[in-house]
Amino acid sequence: SADPGMGYAQPPPGDGYAQQQQPGPVPQPGGQFFTPGLPDDPAAQAAQQPQMQQPAYYAGQQQQQQQGGVDQLANQFGQMGMGAPQGQKPFQLHTVNLVGMPIDPRELLADPPEIRLPPGACISNNPFANADPSYQRSTLNAIPTTHSLLNKSRLPFALILTPYRSLKEQDDDLAPPVVSDTVIVRCRRCRTYINPYVTFIDGGNRWKCCMCGLANDVPQLFDWDQQRGQPADRWARPELNYATVEYIAPSEYMVRPPQPPVYVFLIDVSYAAVQSGMVATATRTILESLDRLPNVDDRTKVAVIAYDVTLHFFSLPPGSTESRMLVVGDLDDVYLPQPSDILVNLTESRSALDTLLGKLSDMFQDNHAVGSAFGPALQAGFKLASPTGGKLIALSANLPSLGPGALKNREDPKLLGTSQESKLLQPQSSFYKTFAIECSRSQVSVDLFLTGSGYSDVATVSGLPRYTSGQTYFYPSFNASRSEDAIKLAHELSNLLASPIGLEAVIRVRASRGLRMSQFHGNFFVRSTDLLALPAVPWDQSYAIEMQIEETLNQPFVVLQTAVLHTSSFGERRIRVVTQALPTTQNISEVYSSADQVAIATLLANKAVERSLSNKIEDARDAVMNKMSDILGAYKTNMTAAGSGASAQLSISENLKLLPILLLGLMKHVGLRHSAQIPSDLRAYAHCLLTTLPPQLLIPYIHPCFYSLHNMPPECGTIGEHGVIMPPPLPLTSERLERHGLYLIEDGQTMFLWVGRDAVPQLVKDVFDLPAYDQLRGGKATLPILDNPFNQRVNAVIAKTREMRRTPYWPHLYVVKEDGEPPLRLWALSALIMDRADQTPSYVQFLTQLKDRVNGGSFS
Amino acid sequence: MNIEDIEERDGLRLSWNVWPSSRVEATRTVVPIAALYTPLKVREDLPPVLYEPVTCKPPCRAILNPYCQIDVRGKLWICPFCLQRNPFPPHYKDISHTNLPAELLPKYTTIEYTLSRPAQVPPIFIYVVDTCMDEDDLKALRETLVVSLSLLPPHALVGLITFGTMTQVHEIGYSECPKCYVFRGTKEYAPKQIQDMLGLSQANRAAVRPGQPMAPQNFGAARFLMPVQQCEFQLTNILETLARDPWTVASDKRPLRCTGVAVSVAVGLLESTFPNTGARIMLFAGGACTEGPGLVVGDELREPIRSHHDIDRDGAKHFKRATKFYEGLARRASANGHAVDMFAGCLDQVGIAEMKPLTNSTNGVIVLADSFTTEIFKQSFLRLFDKDAQGHLTMGFNATFDVQTTKELKISGIIGHAISANKKSPSVGETEIGIGQTSAWKICVLTPNTSLGVYFEVVTAAGQPLQPASRGLIQFVTHFQHSSGQYRLRVTTVARNFAEAGSPQIGQSFDQEVSAVLMARIAVFKAEIDDSPDVLRWLDRMLIRLCQKFADYRKEDPTSFRLSDNFSIYPQFMFHLRRSQFLQVFNNSPDETAFYRHILDEEDVNNSLIMIQPTLMSYTFDTAPQPVLLDSVSIKPDVILLLDTFFHILIFHGSTIAEWRKAKYQDQEGYENFKELLEAPQLDAQDLLVDRFPLPRYIVCDQGGSQARFLLSKLNPSTTHMSGGLYGGPGGQGQAILTDDVSLQVFMEHLKRLAVGASTS
Ligand SMILES: [Zn+2]
Ligand SMILES: [Zn+2]
Repeated sequence: SADPGMGYAQPPPGDGYAQQQQPGPVPQPGGQFFTPGLPDDPAAQAAQQPQMQQPAYYAGQQQQQQQGGVDQLANQFGQMGMGAPQGQKPFQLHTVNLVGMPIDPRELLADPPEIRLPPGACISNNPFANADPSYQRSTLNAIPTTHSLLNKSRLPFALILTPYRSLKEQDDDLAPPVVSDTVIVRCRRCRTYINPYVTFIDGGNRWKCCMCGLANDVPQLFDWDQQRGQPADRWARPELNYATVEYIAPSEYMVRPPQPPVYVFLIDVSYAAVQSGMVATATRTILESLDRLPNVDDRTKVAVIAYDVTLHFFSLPPGSTESRMLVVGDLDDVYLPQPSDILVNLTESRSALDTLLGKLSDMFQDNHAVGSAFGPALQAGFKLASPTGGKLIALSANLPSLGPGALKNREDPKLLGTSQESKLLQPQSSFYKTFAIECSRSQVSVDLFLTGSGYSDVATVSGLPRYTSGQTYFYPSFNASRSEDAIKLAHELSNLLASPIGLEAVIRVRASRGLRMSQFHGNFFVRSTDLLALPAVPWDQSYAIEMQIEETLNQPFVVLQTAVLHTSSFGERRIRVVTQALPTTQNISEVYSSADQVAIATLLANKAVERSLSNKIEDARDAVMNKMSDILGAYKTNMTAAGSGASAQLSISENLKLLPILLLGLMKHVGLRHSAQIPSDLRAYAHCLLTTLPPQLLIPYIHPCFYSLHNMPPECGTIGEHGVIMPPPLPLTSERLERHGLYLIEDGQTMFLWVGRDAVPQLVKDVFDLPAYDQLRGGKATLPILDNPFNQRVNAVIAKTREMRRTPYWPHLYVVKEDGEPPLRLWALSALIMDRADQTPSYVQFLTQLKDRVNGGSFS
Repeated sequence: MNIEDIEERDGLRLSWNVWPSSRVEATRTVVPIAALYTPLKVREDLPPVLYEPVTCKPPCRAILNPYCQIDVRGKLWICPFCLQRNPFPPHYKDISHTNLPAELLPKYTTIEYTLSRPAQVPPIFIYVVDTCMDEDDLKALRETLVVSLSLLPPHALVGLITFGTMTQVHEIGYSECPKCYVFRGTKEYAPKQIQDMLGLSQANRAAVRPGQPMAPQNFGAARFLMPVQQCEFQLTNILETLARDPWTVASDKRPLRCTGVAVSVAVGLLESTFPNTGARIMLFAGGACTEGPGLVVGDELREPIRSHHDIDRDGAKHFKRATKFYEGLARRASANGHAVDMFAGCLDQVGIAEMKPLTNSTNGVIVLADSFTTEIFKQSFLRLFDKDAQGHLTMGFNATFDVQTTKELKISGIIGHAISANKKSPSVGETEIGIGQTSAWKICVLTPNTSLGVYFEVVTAAGQPLQPASRGLIQFVTHFQHSSGQYRLRVTTVARNFAEAGSPQIGQSFDQEVSAVLMARIAVFKAEIDDSPDVLRWLDRMLIRLCQKFADYRKEDPTSFRLSDNFSIYPQFMFHLRRSQFLQVFNNSPDETAFYRHILDEEDVNNSLIMIQPTLMSYTFDTAPQPVLLDSVSIKPDVILLLDTFFHILIFHGSTIAEWRKAKYQDQEGYENFKELLEAPQLDAQDLLVDRFPLPRYIVCDQGGSQARFLLSKLNPSTTHMSGGLYGGPGGQGQAILTDDVSLQVFMEHLKRLAVGASTS
């Protein structure tokens, strides 16, 4: 038997298969670059060397929350280099040559460039006084003082917000501190919430707004402990120490009493839905999730509508154990069949609801109805939820075919890969957008679970979550008889149900004078110029906001503050405020050296999707390509000696060196790549994810993780200090695939367990409990849990992959045999984005193209 | 054979039993040749005839009957209607003068065949139940409906539709939980929509995979209409938990009640699933339709429900539209053989006046009760399910009624709750009375009481020589679905002699009772279309002409006026008919009028006569109870009167009796005779109630009490406040009645003068 510590390297090299990988392009030694914007300071350069030699890729990269007392804080404070005694350190620009530079995927997990505020900018010493990037990050961590400087850099300026991100226990996440005394101090003029970047004047009686400069009175209660009835230490107030805080809003922040959580389940019970097992899986999951639904004060309300060619309402009287079914077949003119007992209090009607969910699937077991009154079901759900607001959770196994919102199967393989393809990605009916906006106005949010085996027109129906701050979940060819399918749906649905939601929310971002929000990307409805309406704020959705510099920024730093006014799932009106301060600079090199490649890629993913709908997919790819070559060209012009002349190098600052590979991944992503083989549903679903995933999920989605398992170091897959130790990620190229190897490729949505064709029987036995490779079948799989260390380590790596990010998704695991079914193989290989595939360039070719453009174009 | 025997045997009475032989003479006899025919008249003595009838060649198809000429040797028969010769079928080969099949025996001029073809579907009952009523009413209704389930034949299909703000069709075949299909109350649904919404159409349904049988009860009407023996438990559960309409009603509003949609859904359900088969839609309404199609009154309480005055003055804003809506439904229901019954349980009107096309073209019943808690409702409803000796419901379904005549007679039409089957046979005449231009009608449901007025005309030109013993024949053929599940065919053949013009036989053959009823039906039919003054004038004119033709008198000498016995009470019937609620509608609501008229067109001669001229019995000491004049003179302090108007049964205590009764003498020893006197009319009233449908309103009142007005309005006002002495109180006996109506005596004086041609002063 193999020694697990030795890995599964094939012992005799008899078959001539090279075990030793050829290294990739040889890295060029650095340090030879000219940086005009800065004095060449080797010391500073050394200090700039990343502290990321041991990146905590296995545990996410967000900062450790405060655990101890002041000393500990001070230590962390020191480590973070903020407000260091010697004053603001200048940004050090470090230029690298992309050509031939090896890619280390671990660097993608690094923190964004440091935010170096001028001394005294922050009135708090708290290390959490500036926004954690997981809540809010800027594409630039030093803001050019003028638009022309920004323009010169060609870098985009935008904020990436995930204000309602989830908290993971294993990451020691703590909820943002709560200001519970309802003393909400805001600038009289610009309505900014008081924060660690204001200044107190007049002996602390007034405070000066960091955005507009207005002097405001400090209310007396600000320094008063209302609970104890004694003076309090102002400096202990959370809003002066933490960038992310939550206020409990007093009644003037309410137009009506806080709404209870309302969940209306719309369940497709047509023939297709029942046969696929969706109904059974969904109802079982809902039933099991009822105890996990937010329902702190027994206020939560629930309704169930089953639909096929008609609508089936259920009357669930309080205290009863039985339900009554009310069928409405008038699809043109939907109405509620009775005034009460359909949307019911979860606690009071629990028995009836339990009974119903327990047998709903059986009730429709023999249903032969074909067709989907999806639109009418939505309208019915809306009628129930709209008086209070709430969530419609719609499960559909069919293309909507009846009543308002009926859709045609317009999928046309002839159009795929052509300039006409975008038509299939645009909505075919205005119903869903119009309805969604109506929902938004009534604080109704829609989540979609699409399990159809055929064309589902994701592009059209996803307009519902798009404008109502919901999410689209897609399960093509769902079949619950495969346990993997059932588990995935159950996991994601139950995750959605269990997660707290912010209800009837609005998001507004305020920024220092001179800055303006210009474009908004994500799932919401822009109610007025800069007010984003979100009937429900889900965990872990991201929003991108493009910023403009309208006038010269005279302040040494700017503040960008996001406020999310919402009703918590336990019935409080709350305001979550995320404040971020960023230094300003007149120095273009600082602009470059502060740029956040992850945030830029996130923004460009949003913009590319938008472009592929408004124009052509090709245009979207071109725009990404152009942006990258623009940045490189501008960098070359502004920052290198080569200037406008031809150069053999392709230069970029160290902190942006992974931007090309990220953008290549974006262009090669299923949502954007040039192909005549990608069904428009898959593209449209990818678009949903590309425009909503926060960076932590988006980056692996466009730049997957690739691990070699057969020879992973012995500690990998075992429990370390921070949980399961992951193998080191590999560059995304098939050159790393050995014929006897076992690999994991995953993008947060899908995992491929790649098995080389010469995998030794022992490996197959240990991992799959099968005698040999030829007994192994490719496809969706669940690994057996076996009594051998390697199996357990592989399982641990897979399990860790599923839980290491803040995500509602449960990736499928596919076993891919090297010589297995071509579609599955090609799918897995498409994740290896550095390879040339089909009509898409390899990374090396991509860099060559960029270099040619940079050398050919003029960037001034 | 006398008239009563014929009626007993054939369920038939004719206005004339000897017929004028020419068109001209027939016109002069004023009252048309007409029959009041009761097709399902109970005949205990009829032999079971378990073979198919022998019919004449097409297109005649008359049925072999005792009036056919038969040739036992040639094994053939001659059809009296078309005079064609027909061979007897082979199995009649043993026929002889002494061995005749029943249908040829003279005593079986009426015979009923049990056809070998069974009905494909058992009778269907759909309850359409209003839930907008107070808890007591709903409870009573629920209980009665539950009881009725046990009275239905076990194989009968039953369905349930409830309604209030919306209409719910209950899928009683669904076992997982109570389930219903809900229709919006405001919307007029096309039949196809109803079918689609109930999932009755085949579209939108996956093909069954081979080898996977589809449970039939999941599809089609079986989900909504199930044999009562299978669903009684489930349906009882649904009924017992049936709650009031859950939508809230503001204090200034009527509840929203979508009666129109509910009935249309019932009609739509049946017409798409069981066309042309026996079914009853039974509507239980606790109020008027206030929503959607068929709206009778708006939901604002300040809007009163329409009265006769409103309708007359065109001030009933919903009336025409609603009537049109229900007419449309009635056409669809009746075309498919589906009857609609209406049970009202409400102090106010429920819109019977608008909805009456439903009952009137399907022969459904109308029961008006103040509440579903009343015996009138409960007993009337349950009485519908009375069984015959074999345990079958005494109702027939989905009937067609064919009439054939010999050539001298043609059919003018029928008056009764039927619709034309549009059969253009040679028997169809030109003159139209009632529903004409056809020789066949559809009657969706028949009871043993259902009586049809059938009107004829003589078409023979005057002056044609009359053959000796010349006679005309009429054959009535009723084909219906028996509740046992078989089709049956009731055949009645009548023959009457023609008489020369001027023959006294004609006058002697006049049946004044049935004639009064038949003329009353015409008058009411006209009144539905014309203004009632026109109808009254027409009635008067016909009466005068009849008297002119058949009375003995000297011209211009009223005192010489004499009517023979068989005409003598006819004017009195006409007098009471003129005063009756059938023609004097303004003391009643439109719903009541519709109800009364509906019943008049349903009942046989005796019951109809009671309606036209109520009977009055008098009870007093030392005399046997006796019928007395329907006249104010019959009111005396020491008598008890028992009035039967068919719709009301009223016991009236004269003032003295009333005082004694109040003083409770009946409970004291020594006053047993008083007690007996009080009880006697009550016992007689119970007898009257036994087979009366619907159950009459039972009133006990005292002279001078407010309830007594029911009696007073029916009495001939021989003593009115106008007829007293100039200075004195009421003259003579009896009680003065506050009315401007003329008395019978005055009426008769006028009639005599007009008949004899005397000048009216
Ligand atoms: Zn301000
Ligand atoms: Zn014939």
